[in-house]
Amino acid sequence: MLRLTLAQMRRSIGRLVAAGVAIVIGTAFVTATLIAGDVMTRTTNDSIAAQFASADLVVSAPADLTADDVDALRSVPGVDAVDAVQFTYLDLSHGSKRVFQLGVPAPSDPRFQALEVVEGSMPTATGQVALPEAVAERLGVGIGDAVTSSRNVWDGSAPDGGAYEEVRDELSVVGTTADPYGAYAQMGGAVVVTAEDVAAWEAAQSMPDEPARTYSAAMVGLAPGTDLETVRAALVAASPDEAKAVTPDEHAQEQARKMTGDQDVFTYVILGFAAVALLVAALVITNTFQVLVAQRTRTLALLRAVGANRSQLARSVLTEATILGVVSSVGGILLGALLTQVALLVARGADLGVPIPATIAVTPVVVLVPLLVGTVVTVVASFAPARAATRVAPLEALRPADAPSLARGGGRARLVVASLLTVAGLAVLGGGIWLGTTGNPEIGLLAGVAGGALSFVGVLVGAVFWLPGVVSLVGRLLAGTGSTARLATANTLRNPRRTTATSTALLIGVTLVAMMSTGAASARTSLDTALDEQYPVDVLVATDLYGSSGEAVPGEAVRAVSGSEGVARVVELVAAEATLPDGTQLTVHGVDPEQAREVVRTPESLAPLAEGTLMLSEQEAESWGIADGERLELTGPDGATLDVVARTGAVGWSWLLATDDARALDPGAVTSRLWVGLDESADPTQAVPAIQDAIVDVDVPVEVAGAAVERALMESVIDTILGVIVGLLAVAVVIALIGVANTLSLSVIERRRESATLRAIGLSRAQLRWMLAIEGMLIAGVGAVLGIALGVLYGWAGAATALSIMGDVSLAVPWRDVALVLVVALVAGLVASVVPGRTAARTSPVAALAVD
Amino acid sequence: MDTTVYRPTDPAPAGPPAVRARSLRKTYGKGEAAVHALDGVDVDFERGHFTAIMGPSGSGKSTLMHLLAGLDTATSGHAFIGDTEVTGLNDNALTQLRRDRVGFVFQSFNLLPMFTAEQNITLPVELAGGKVDRAWLDTLVRTLGLEARLAHRPSELSGGQQQRVAIARALIAGPEVVFADEPTGNLDSRSGAEVLSFLRRSVRELGRTIIMVTHDPTAAAYADRVVLIADGRIAGDITDPTPESVLAGLDALRTLEAPGADVPQAVRA
Repeated sequence: MLRLTLAQMRRSIGRLVAAGVAIVIGTAFVTATLIAGDVMTRTTNDSIAAQFASADLVVSAPADLTADDVDALRSVPGVDAVDAVQFTYLDLSHGSKRVFQLGVPAPSDPRFQALEVVEGSMPTATGQVALPEAVAERLGVGIGDAVTSSRNVWDGSAPDGGAYEEVRDELSVVGTTADPYGAYAQMGGAVVVTAEDVAAWEAAQSMPDEPARTYSAAMVGLAPGTDLETVRAALVAASPDEAKAVTPDEHAQEQARKMTGDQDVFTYVILGFAAVALLVAALVITNTFQVLVAQRTRTLALLRAVGANRSQLARSVLTEATILGVVSSVGGILLGALLTQVALLVARGADLGVPIPATIAVTPVVVLVPLLVGTVVTVVASFAPARAATRVAPLEALRPADAPSLARGGGRARLVVASLLTVAGLAVLGGGIWLGTTGNPEIGLLAGVAGGALSFVGVLVGAVFWLPGVVSLVGRLLAGTGSTARLATANTLRNPRRTTATSTALLIGVTLVAMMSTGAASARTSLDTALDEQYPVDVLVATDLYGSSGEAVPGEAVRAVSGSEGVARVVELVAAEATLPDGTQLTVHGVDPEQAREVVRTPESLAPLAEGTLMLSEQEAESWGIADGERLELTGPDGATLDVVARTGAVGWSWLLATDDARALDPGAVTSRLWVGLDESADPTQAVPAIQDAIVDVDVPVEVAGAAVERALMESVIDTILGVIVGLLAVAVVIALIGVANTLSLSVIERRRESATLRAIGLSRAQLRWMLAIEGMLIAGVGAVLGIALGVLYGWAGAATALSIMGDVSLAVPWRDVALVLVVALVAGLVASVVPGRTAARTSPVAALAVD
Repeated sequence: MDTTVYRPTDPAPAGPPAVRARSLRKTYGKGEAAVHALDGVDVDFERGHFTAIMGPSGSGKSTLMHLLAGLDTATSGHAFIGDTEVTGLNDNALTQLRRDRVGFVFQSFNLLPMFTAEQNITLPVELAGGKVDRAWLDTLVRTLGLEARLAHRPSELSGGQQQRVAIARALIAGPEVVFADEPTGNLDSRSGAEVLSFLRRSVRELGRTIIMVTHDPTAAAYADRVVLIADGRIAGDITDPTPESVLAGLDALRTLEAPGADVPQAVRA
């Protein structure tokens, strides 16, 4: 029987290869995910280990080490050097540029030095600093320049028992560093200062009754020729209870294990996408095997007639699936390993600042899991076809081979199950949305996901009942374009089950892509609204933020900002002192109403601003007890009074007047703020630093608040996440498209004589190819359109459930993505028909005359 | 040897022959191994006649039909449909020719399972982008007795009915000639007889030209004329055949071709 199975496989090799590709891609996905997860863990390990440089041992204790504990380590025989692991944070500035950076003490021993000096040297005296190259560049300083360090110092002599006070030190840059092993890559690099400075700053910062500083670990260097194990034991003995002395690698692994919970979740999420891809692959496999069994009906019947029993036939199909599964999975594992290896090489070449291993690690898990999963999926997918094989009656060997007749749709049980799943799923989904919008987003989301998944399974199971109807509807619309389209539609409908399975495979991927895309679009729109309220202008340049000087922004600074790259318009705000009727003094800003409306994100919010009005936000109005439309009398510093009508709806926290009103109230009002609008096309992450650079030379301290940067950052986070998710789901779509090509080529084989007949009665080669192209596009297009519709609905449901915490949810349709998905599906359907179309067109009309 | 015989009693063969072959040759393989499926055939098929091509298996009768209909390419020689030389046309021109001027009836009917009988019949016209001549369709349907079957799919029709639908499909575009390849090969004798009489009626009443390949002497007897073919050559020509005259012709052919050795075969047949 095995010989027979192998012989049959050889005959169907083309079909099997096409089906195998689906499994290859699926298992490659799983393999790549597992390897990538492993690489990430190793990268984290290496980066933690890199912090200990070439230390021989790392001592740590659950309750951390005190300074005394560290000192005790120094006196252990055989120990050459000991440094406590210590971090501090530095607030460094140079002109208007400012960075907030991790700082580490200069190591006492070169063995503990994780960073490399690029230029100059490590700090040796107090007041010296070595900066990472990138930080030096950002601050615009070189060796010999000074940077300002701001820190808070506890002043015990201050009234009320003490207070924090800001202290500024000038630090001299003595060197620049590189981080070749990525020790601090995840923290954006580390500034090096002397250990004395770190200790002094720490002491100055702590309150008198604060407990003494402790250290998470200490690095130990051994004297040459000392036995590691002897010292290890001695170190543990000299340390507090439960202390451990381990090598840096062991320590890193332990730390990484604590940290990588998140990474595991990440790996599981990606494996979830791999599962979708494998599900789609399973559909493609089932389809292929069904056709193989149908094609072999006569052979199977003959086998039955000469004495094979049912289970032998089923076993033959399952054996075939197992062989296909194993071979394809091995191929997939090799492909996945190759792809990740190539990705590693590319990532290393791209210099991401994180040291990346040169080669992937092939562990048993990486090989066995995909092998098992791929094989099991293939075998399970062949169960239904195997059962079909057992139903072949011996009698069929004697019948003439007819053209495949019209297959029927699904049975009643399927209809009931599908309807129940869909209805129940939708009900749960509806409940989830309701919970989400009524303030229980977590439970709502859980219910929504469960309900959505349930109803989607229902929709898929029931697809055979309604999908052919949709195909027929679309086909009827196409029929007007000619007989070729009518033939294609009729062909697509002749085997509703196969068409449904093929189309469904695509529908799964497209639905998920459309859902993610819609969810992201809705999140973006909702987020934009929230951001518009929070950040009314792209960039704020001010001298009076957070209680600063309030000096006038010099004209040269205004000109510099206006001329800065990416700046579209600049509006000046004057600051006026005003006293409310109840005696409260505050600063109000005057702005030209027309110009203001041009620069803010939501001009409608400033609609009432005009001479004689005072605008303030609703929250402000509420907290000050001012009603919308209330008349107020403001008094200026010189006693001038101004009658205004208070209107709510202003953007941000400022109280706004028209410029002329502000000047009338306070003749001494000067420009203290600039509202800057950026070009639509400008990249805020470049435009905002450009503005900072433009005003570096201004003497007055000016703050630049780049709301646009935050906005761009948030949008890019959403876009990146969406891009990654869509990329992962695209794998499922690719597999489904292979399925479309598969189905078409199977149809071509089955309909060989029919194609020849059509050619004989006057169908041209071009028409025959076009007919298959329409079939391909019809199957792919219907799958895509339905997938998009479902995806948009699910996406909306998800957005409504999850985003309602953020306020009003705007449901958006990502038209561009939707159009892209549709075009890709149609083009792929067209491309999928090319090879089958060529095969069909090669069929000679003589074949129509053949009897068998 | 040109064995074409014109019947003096012909109902006035109008104009040139519908189909002609001149020195038509088809060779498979090369050199020693070369097999001459057709070895220089000259034959004319008259317009408005029902002609049968007969011969034993491997005699080249099917090859002859393929070449005449432009389904296969000749090694040398010429085939004409009307005044058009079929040999040497490219695929598009051949497709055009099959659409407008040639009809086919196949042994296995070859109807499209997803279309109704009527849709199957009108398909050639639609493929050509033309408009169905309702009057002509009605005539065909009436002649072939398919009135009650038009809305049925092939799977709901008997073999004989299916073949009648196939005949209607072959005739719908008003072709100059219809080629029928063993049209009764898959039918029981009663349905076969029915189909053959419909073919004859198409010629007699509708003025069509039909060339039928068959190996069944009874089927051949429905034709106006039988062309016998053996070993790739025209071997005889029988006018107004009867089953007996066809059998006799075949027997003569065998004894003539292979005296002695083939006699027992003929007896067995």
